Amino acid sequence: MIRTKLWTLAGLCLLGTVACQELVPTSVDDDLLPPAPVTVEVRLGWDAFGSGLQVLGGYGAPQELGSGVTARLFAGTLNARTLARFTGFPQAATVQDSAGNTRADSALTFVGGWVVARVDTLSSVADGPVTLRLGALQQAWHARTATWELAVDTINDRASWGEAGGGPVVDLGEAVWDPAAGDSVRFPVDSAQVAAWADTLDLTRGVRLDAVTEGARLRITNVFLRLDTRSSLAPDTTLVLTAPRRDLTFVYDPLPDPPPDGLRVGGAPSWRSVMDISVPATLSGPPSLCTVGCPFALTADRLNYAALVLRTRASSPAFQPTDTVTLDLRPVLLRSALPKAPLGSSLTASLGRRVAPDLFGSRPGAEIEIPLTQFVRDLLRGETATGTDPPNTLALLTTFEPLSIAFASFWGPGSGADLEPVLKLIVTAGPSVQLP
Amino acid sequence: MTRFALALVSMLVLAGNAGAQSLFNGAGLGVPIDPVDARSRALGSAGIGLWGTSLVPGDPAAAARISVPTAVFTAQPSWVDFSREGEATDFRSTRFPLVAIAYPAFGLGTATFSFGSFLDQRYEATRAATLDLEAGPVAAIDSFSSEGGVSEIRLGLSRALDERFSVGLQLGRYNGTLTRTLTRSLEGVDAEGQVLDFRADGRWAYSATSVTAGAAATLGTRARLAGSLTWSTDLEAEPSETTEAPGGTFALPLQVRVGGTAVLAPGLLLSASLLSSDWTSTADDLRESDARNTVSYGVGVELSRARILGRDAPLRLGYRKSELPFALEDGAPVESVFSGGLGLGLSQTGSVILAGLDLAIERGRREEVGITENFWRAALTLRVAGF
Repeated sequence: MIRTKLWTLAGLCLLGTVACQELVPTSVDDDLLPPAPVTVEVRLGWDAFGSGLQVLGGYGAPQELGSGVTARLFAGTLNARTLARFTGFPQAATVQDSAGNTRADSALTFVGGWVVARVDTLSSVADGPVTLRLGALQQAWHARTATWELAVDTINDRASWGEAGGGPVVDLGEAVWDPAAGDSVRFPVDSAQVAAWADTLDLTRGVRLDAVTEGARLRITNVFLRLDTRSSLAPDTTLVLTAPRRDLTFVYDPLPDPPPDGLRVGGAPSWRSVMDISVPATLSGPPSLCTVGCPFALTADRLNYAALVLRTRASSPAFQPTDTVTLDLRPVLLRSALPKAPLGSSLTASLGRRVAPDLFGSRPGAEIEIPLTQFVRDLLRGETATGTDPPNTLALLTTFEPLSIAFASFWGPGSGADLEPVLKLIVTAGPSVQLP
Repeated sequence: MTRFALALVSMLVLAGNAGAQSLFNGAGLGVPIDPVDARSRALGSAGIGLWGTSLVPGDPAAAARISVPTAVFTAQPSWVDFSREGEATDFRSTRFPLVAIAYPAFGLGTATFSFGSFLDQRYEATRAATLDLEAGPVAAIDSFSSEGGVSEIRLGLSRALDERFSVGLQLGRYNGTLTRTLTRSLEGVDAEGQVLDFRADGRWAYSATSVTAGAAATLGTRARLAGSLTWSTDLEAEPSETTEAPGGTFALPLQVRVGGTAVLAPGLLLSASLLSSDWTSTADDLRESDARNTVSYGVGVELSRARILGRDAPLRLGYRKSELPFALEDGAPVESVFSGGLGLGLSQTGSVILAGLDLAIERGRREEVGITENFWRAALTLRVAGF
């Protein structure tokens, strides 16, 4: 009997083996398929799908950019100043004594130094050399909340600058940044000023970097302090140590007003454009779609593709982007909680929809398509993949907030059929699949 | 017994996964499948009138003299080259066309249970298209998938009336599902993976009932003759709740089987069989395809006393020609097959084979005007008894 079972097992294994490697018969014979479905592109105007457009500002703070902006009457209007604060000074350094031995020395004397500012040569806007002025801040300030008018704007504290725009300051001199010469500009500081910045408990510590030359807008990527240092072990030698920046932000004026029409995203703090989306349950055109039958029931299965199509518009000259803008589109999960409503996962790819900066400046009017197929499918189905009610509100924003002081602008509802937002749909319709 | 039951359940699951073996599956109701074992395949038989006992649904009386509990499992892989003008493709698959059990029924005869394939409707087809959208022409691929078919479960009783005559009666239930899916994929829209496929599908559940009656006579040691009739109700195709398309009803043919074996000399057997199925009334139920009356016949020779490695290993040769009821175009498709095979007794007690294998290899061709399928097909049957 055991032998019988063994043979049975062997036979079952053999049968299982021959069952592998299916390759389904596949033909390219048109007669073996049902009649070809019809696929058409449908463009819905704003009135057919959109409502409740709101442009909301105030997301994030300039400090989160991790860089500064310095401008003077850029585009005739924008003034911006970079504020920076350094960390504590180095407590010790490794030096070689007179006997040639390498030792740690904590008895350091700081005899002077330079404030060094690095400029982003690509995204800065300047026709030529730009004269910059450095000043030492004299008033306690809070990097995250500082604005042109306010030095501190926290829940328990609110203090205006003595002079609007981060003042007053003690003038520390001027220097010229020449874009042809490099990306750094240096300001010498004396030992007294260095000593004044050594106290890390002093909330007034910091520098303000102004532009003297009009018409330029510089992006400051870093500000730090180089310290001329004398060691007790090697008094004849001057060491150069670094106090990196602890805070870096900027204040600017004027703050852009909310747009009277259209959509806006980006800026620092950032703008978002929020809108409600509703997708019609039926379509009555175009004629090619009606060959299947109109009114045509628009269902999730019939939707191949959906995208929000926007037309770019020139932003205010002072805030026109100089680098690629990456757009993000996210569902608003609780509209009633706006402007602090939670957002869902991004509908765009991980890097967002990248748009060239000149489309918001010298070459406006370009069509930007942001896919949102799954979002629209969920609306048509009445539920998300997880079985919850689908949100019907979208927020257009930048992938990171803030991304830049500049913002992107788009034409809004009422701008005309060629300019206003459009919902582009690619739908496929066909007769139902039948029995043989 | 418990292990055997588990194995049986496994095989039933496998049988439900029957794969497609012909593009003619796309014609009409598909390709009819004979639920026969490897011995019948090797002899070119329709599964009726073979010498000795057998457990084949088409020959109900053949199980009457099975004296111990017996089960058979059959696997059937195939490799197919399809060609027609401008198109050539190949595919392979494996079916499990027959699982059957016979059990002596306390003096009443032999009770039988079988699960076998009846119609195979599995195939796929694709079509390229170019769409004119506002952004310009976009490539699209239409893919159609037909998945499923019809199987039949039969319960029967076979009884020997005397030493020469035996009869059998089976009650069968057709069942199965058909899922047909059309998918359109847009290939030329660059949208970061946000272009989703259009999909339309339908799913139907099949059901029908059949009755098969058969009789066999053994003429001494010289010959055996058998015949059977299968009558079926209409095949109902009931759509699922989510299926837009309506259901349908398809007339199933009356199947007539006759066959016999003659002992030409000790150890030399000649068998022949014929199967007639009238599908013409089914044509009225199909939307596009036509259907016709079909006849299938086959002959074979068995050298029953051959031995390999000291074990009984009968050698078999056969030929079979079958008309297919549904055509891909306007032709009359025919399948012709040359076959060969052997049996191998793996474990034996007296005259009872406790475990045995039958193997058949077929080289065949299905032809319609301008369409050819050349195929290799194997059949492997495992027979166990005395569990």
